[in-house]
Amino acid sequence: MAGRRDAIRILLRIAFRNLAASRVRTAIIGAIVGLGSLIAVLGMSLLHSIDGGMRTSVQGSLGGHLQVYNGASEDPLELYGGLRGESLLEPIQDFSKVKAVLEQVPNVKMVVPMGIDQAMVATGNVIDVALERLRDDVRRLEAGERDAALLRSYEAHKAHARRIVTLLREQLAQARAIADLEGRDAEERRSEWADLTRAAADQFWSGFDQDRYQHLELLENRIARLSMEGAFTFLRYVGTDVDAFFRAFPLAQVGEGQMIPKGRRGILVGKQYAEEWLKLKNARRLDQIKEKRERRGKRIADDEQLQRWVKENGNGINEILLQLDPAKAGALAARLRPSLGAPAGEELPALLARLFQTDDERFDRNYRLFYQEVAPLIRLYLVDVGDTITIKAPSKSGYFNSVNVKVYGFIQFRGIEKSGIAGMMSVMDMMSFRDLYGYLSREKAAEIASIKASSGARELSREEAEAALFGAGGSLEGQGKQERIDESALLGAGRGAEAADLAARVYSQDEIERGVALNAALVLEDPAKLRGTMRDVQRASDEAGLGLKVVDWEVASGVVGQFVLMLRAVLFISIFIFFVVSLVIVNNAMVMAMLQRVKEIGTMRAIGAQRRFVLAMLLVETVTVGLLFGLAGAAMGGASLAVIRATGGIPAVNDMLYFLFAGPALLPTLGSAGVAVALLIVFAVSVLSGLYPALLAMRVTPVEAIATED
Amino acid sequence: MSIVSVQNVSKDYMLGKTVVPALRGVTLEIGRGEFLSIAGPSGSGKTTLLNLIGCVDTPSGGRVLVGEKDTSRLSERALTDLRLHTIGFIFQSFNLVQVLSVFQNVEFPLLLQGGLSRREREARVMGLLEAVGIGSHRRHRPGELSGGQRQRVAVARALVTRPALVLADEPTANLDSQTGATIIDLMKEMNRRDGTTFIFSTHDPKVMSHASAIVRIADGQLVGREAPGGDAAAAGGR
Repeated sequence: MAGRRDAIRILLRIAFRNLAASRVRTAIIGAIVGLGSLIAVLGMSLLHSIDGGMRTSVQGSLGGHLQVYNGASEDPLELYGGLRGESLLEPIQDFSKVKAVLEQVPNVKMVVPMGIDQAMVATGNVIDVALERLRDDVRRLEAGERDAALLRSYEAHKAHARRIVTLLREQLAQARAIADLEGRDAEERRSEWADLTRAAADQFWSGFDQDRYQHLELLENRIARLSMEGAFTFLRYVGTDVDAFFRAFPLAQVGEGQMIPKGRRGILVGKQYAEEWLKLKNARRLDQIKEKRERRGKRIADDEQLQRWVKENGNGINEILLQLDPAKAGALAARLRPSLGAPAGEELPALLARLFQTDDERFDRNYRLFYQEVAPLIRLYLVDVGDTITIKAPSKSGYFNSVNVKVYGFIQFRGIEKSGIAGMMSVMDMMSFRDLYGYLSREKAAEIASIKASSGARELSREEAEAALFGAGGSLEGQGKQERIDESALLGAGRGAEAADLAARVYSQDEIERGVALNAALVLEDPAKLRGTMRDVQRASDEAGLGLKVVDWEVASGVVGQFVLMLRAVLFISIFIFFVVSLVIVNNAMVMAMLQRVKEIGTMRAIGAQRRFVLAMLLVETVTVGLLFGLAGAAMGGASLAVIRATGGIPAVNDMLYFLFAGPALLPTLGSAGVAVALLIVFAVSVLSGLYPALLAMRVTPVEAIATED
Repeated sequence: MSIVSVQNVSKDYMLGKTVVPALRGVTLEIGRGEFLSIAGPSGSGKTTLLNLIGCVDTPSGGRVLVGEKDTSRLSERALTDLRLHTIGFIFQSFNLVQVLSVFQNVEFPLLLQGGLSRREREARVMGLLEAVGIGSHRRHRPGELSGGQRQRVAVARALVTRPALVLADEPTANLDSQTGATIIDLMKEMNRRDGTTFIFSTHDPKVMSHASAIVRIADGQLVGREAPGGDAAAAGGR
């Protein structure tokens, strides 16, 4: 044994001495190996952390551990939307059957029904809101009420409406200056202008009280539509058993407002969606500027995007002006003047322009002023808690369905609040989803068939079909904008009563579960047994004839999962390329080194060194340099990660990253797998690259020692 | 009893497609304790004969017995082992391991052999370094030594395993004549002291004169065996 130890010692000694003797070669090989190790450690650790972040995001927000959907579907399930829009899934006819079967599978804790789709939301605009308030006052006045508060409110709302008309006319006057009044729509434009001129005239307003309804209708029918604001936006929602949803997804929380009461219809609007699409544009831009300034260190002075936002805010002042009646506008101007250091007598538009057209120095003050002084007087979001909104979607029967749902609150996912991927999602009750989705259940299909048969009609008119299908189901088609204007009036009418009933109705758990769903999330007791449970679920589904397809959360996350898959592929491919390149380079260097030592090796063989000694000598050399520099590279990787963490992590600069990082920044940790893989790679590279020269060296005969001249 | 027995040995090399005979039926017995010189012009087959005796090459025909072992029947491994334990080598260009010190170069064969303790090795190596007169240079690298000093180290390395046989291929060819003479003296001294058999090739008559016997070789054939004085013996005789 002593002999072997001595032999190993001499091997190591020769290896180290040779490495030291040819410093340049050692440095080159070391740099390659070290860099490879660094890349592997960094890459693997980052990927591991991203994987963890994504796991948190997907499992906690929508995915659960497993997802099931109808195996007959053409598209794969994509929880967060695909590149071509929503995937087309065949529905699960009766979720309760699926639940009953799958809940019996061991390790399955919860089965949550889901239906994900996109829909249009009628958001209304400020004119609608102002006119709605005015109409409410008018209705009470016409009904004979005469108290002082009502009269004050009526006058204020009237003044507000007049102000809006005036502002609109100014806008249109500017537009007319550049518009072509001779073109195709010239007639239409002239008529618009005439309407506005009429509505802005003193005469119109002094005569308002003579026939309130007639004046109001001119405003509602002819003027309101002239506002350039969009009246609807797209919303992505998941219809679900809301109660079960919140139990299954611990990251979900109601940010503002309250939970949808158990069994009720209602919607929780995605907080991030509200920020991006429902918030007053000027406020949103202020938020974004603030974020860029504080988190990215950008400056208005030298960032084009910030400058553009500031400019757009200057143009967006009208949106705020429209919302203020003259009294509020005056009060706001009085408060803003001293704070902004504006001259006495400066009007609100100028003051707001001063507020929004800010530079870096005044940004923080102006931001504070906006939220302290301006925001409380206006509607910051197009939708508020307590509103009832109208959601429309093309149903599977081909027609547009629409439902009215009450907004109970805003939903966000803890840790990934700002992620557009999870935060865009609104959560709605299952019944409303089914109404919107409008899927023909077998019973309804049979019903239609019998109607067809009895009426003898080959084609059903749209009205008949809808009445047949959804007459009792609460299709509220066509009530969208109108209803916002005069909700209470509608509520008095026949269909309105139905809507009120629907909103107040409490559905039983059985009603929620017995019916169509598109997919279902499975939460497991022990996520570590995911693969086994996945097989069990598939088997249970097959045995029960449910025809379900079972996918894990990563696959179900669709594009997001593919992104991580792509990251992984990129990393592995780059590691592989690096591997091959370094193999070639190190191998070459070692062959060169070996050739220089042919005589030395021959001598060793002559004086009695066995071939395996020579083989070991060369291998020890490459493995030594590999491990030495590999460890150094890994240590540098670990240090880099520590530095990244210490400096706040890798910032999530977009929605995707926010979601993948499960937060605003990725704090990567050194994964033991990363280090193991890195060292394995380094070891493999050094052994493989050393093997060829070592095998060559092994074939050097002792004769070379004698034959070769210096 | 002879330490080396070369029996009707031939050796052919392939040079492209032509067969070049290097040795043609050489028979030679070398006794223990001899200080034998192999002489002959360049290309006569001296080095080939030494390689066959040194077990670094195997004959195309005939037999080579080293220490009564038939080398043609030994595996590559066994030949290596035989070299390690029975034969010491001294090369024309010294062939020291550049990255090892003088001491480590000499110690190297002992480490390959294994079995000796560190203390024993140290005693043996230092004894030899003193004997070849280079003890004070034990920590030097070969590159820091003169040619003569290097060959002294090589002599020490060849002897450190106490081999029965030391082979030296033109040991003085890269040295000036005075240094060459001291190396031959040193080898002779070792030959006398331990009774180690030395076989060396040379074409320097002055070097030959130190030999106990001279074997002359030409065109791959033994042409004579004589004492340095000049008495020619019959080829293949003793």
